[in-house]
Amino acid sequence: MKIYLNSLKLYFKSQLEYKKSFITGLLSQILIMFTYYFIIIALFDKFDNIKGYTKYEVLLCFAIIQFGFSITETFARGIDVFENLIIRGEFDRLLLRPKNILLQVLSSDYDLIKISRVIQAIIILIISLIKLNIKFNIYKIITISLILISSITIFFSIFLLMASYCFITVQGLEVKNLFTDGGKQIAQYPISIYNKHFIFIFTFLIPYAFVNYYPLLYLLGKSNNKIYVLSPLIVFIYLIPSILSFKWGIKKYTSVGS
Amino acid sequence: MKKYLSIFKIKLMNNLQYRVAALAGISTQLFFGLVFIMVYLAFYQSGNNNNLPMNWKELVSYLWLNQIFFSLIFIWQKDRELLNMIKDGNISYELCRPIDFYKKWYATMYGERLSALLLRFLPVTIIALNLPSPLKLYPPISIMSFILFIISMIISSLLVTSIALLIHIIAMFPLDEKGIMAFIMVIGDLFSGSTVPLSFFPNFLKNIAYILPFRYIVDVPFRIYSGNISTNSAINPLLLGVVWLIIIVIFGYILSLKAIKKAIIQGG
Repeated sequence: MKIYLNSLKLYFKSQLEYKKSFITGLLSQILIMFTYYFIIIALFDKFDNIKGYTKYEVLLCFAIIQFGFSITETFARGIDVFENLIIRGEFDRLLLRPKNILLQVLSSDYDLIKISRVIQAIIILIISLIKLNIKFNIYKIITISLILISSITIFFSIFLLMASYCFITVQGLEVKNLFTDGGKQIAQYPISIYNKHFIFIFTFLIPYAFVNYYPLLYLLGKSNNKIYVLSPLIVFIYLIPSILSFKWGIKKYTSVGS
Repeated sequence: MKKYLSIFKIKLMNNLQYRVAALAGISTQLFFGLVFIMVYLAFYQSGNNNNLPMNWKELVSYLWLNQIFFSLIFIWQKDRELLNMIKDGNISYELCRPIDFYKKWYATMYGERLSALLLRFLPVTIIALNLPSPLKLYPPISIMSFILFIISMIISSLLVTSIALLIHIIAMFPLDEKGIMAFIMVIGDLFSGSTVPLSFFPNFLKNIAYILPFRYIVDVPFRIYSGNISTNSAINPLLLGVVWLIIIVIFGYILSLKAIKKAIIQGG
């Protein structure tokens, strides 16, 4: 863990050397994200609900997904662009070092500019929670914490699974965008608004529904079933095949040379 | 003119090779098309929508066309080759050649966009036309509107190429393109109507969008197709689109001459 934090610090320092570039990067990220939120806000100007969900409920739903995705993009970029390590043959170097491989991959790259997305997501999240006037008790605090952790977990697992696939193909996988960007697109609205095939895929195959649908039902008071409090835990099961396949990939790994 | 046409043709032929990448593009476009449509469908089914700016048929066609023509009309397509040349100084070779910088890159970019479109649009269109009812792409409302749609698409594609090239030329000045490019691209994306149809914008933003050139890329052609802009009232926006095209091409051309004069060649 110390290595990870250390290299994060170094990366941060190197970024600050290019202050102007860093700041324009941050600003443009804020602008990009603004357009995402703008879509939702603009549509709720014309419609007052979507299948019974109001503006702030949808914004909350969206902010949760953005939060997890942006954190993973910022701090786990090493996994996101893992194919580069493989293509350039740099992965061999990591194997030689007597430290945990996954940790080294994580430490290999960051994308701190995306931190502005995390901050934006947190702001929208807090605004929505206040506007929705949610009465917090111990259960709801547990729910929201589990939601946020599972949101990070789900993207981390997907990134890791796709990285494992690089061991076989060397190239990154284009389909990945369907699972991450596509999933993100889907999960920005409560999953119940979609057609049942989509719901099936994004409940059982890739469990977005357990991140921001079932637990949200409880949080928003749409259901009193306490089992929903713990529903985000299902996402953690998804972590197992991801880690196993990554380990399996390392075993199978043959260098591309150079 | 002949050499630029052949640059265009080479680029077109070259990119038509990338069929596997196109397959990924096709599945992504179908997927996103369906997702967007389902979201709007859920909105439309949620009641009290008496004063909506577009009826369902118009909207669903708009959304499908946006996916089908995505590779032709998206503004933020970066030309890595050109940007790398600017960064590593190889642009100096480019300037030695006896061909016009602006025309060459215009032809290149147009060829790239067109080849990307040719590889993708047919399968997506066929599938979209044959989907079950609320999700399907409807045919254009009349032959006249279809003809006007084709004309507007030609203007749109020429315009978007001129804007994309202009952004690349601007990037030659400060040498760090990321900030300014991201800015124009986000603004362009938003005000072209490709994220949300402009008709759904709040009024003050719609007014801004109507002043800017970006709406002639997405908003105008797709609304002509579905009849949301009637054939009678289509002439005006089409002419305005052409005016914008001329302005941006001239501006881009002059700027390219300036940029070349001032060009700082990075590295040796």
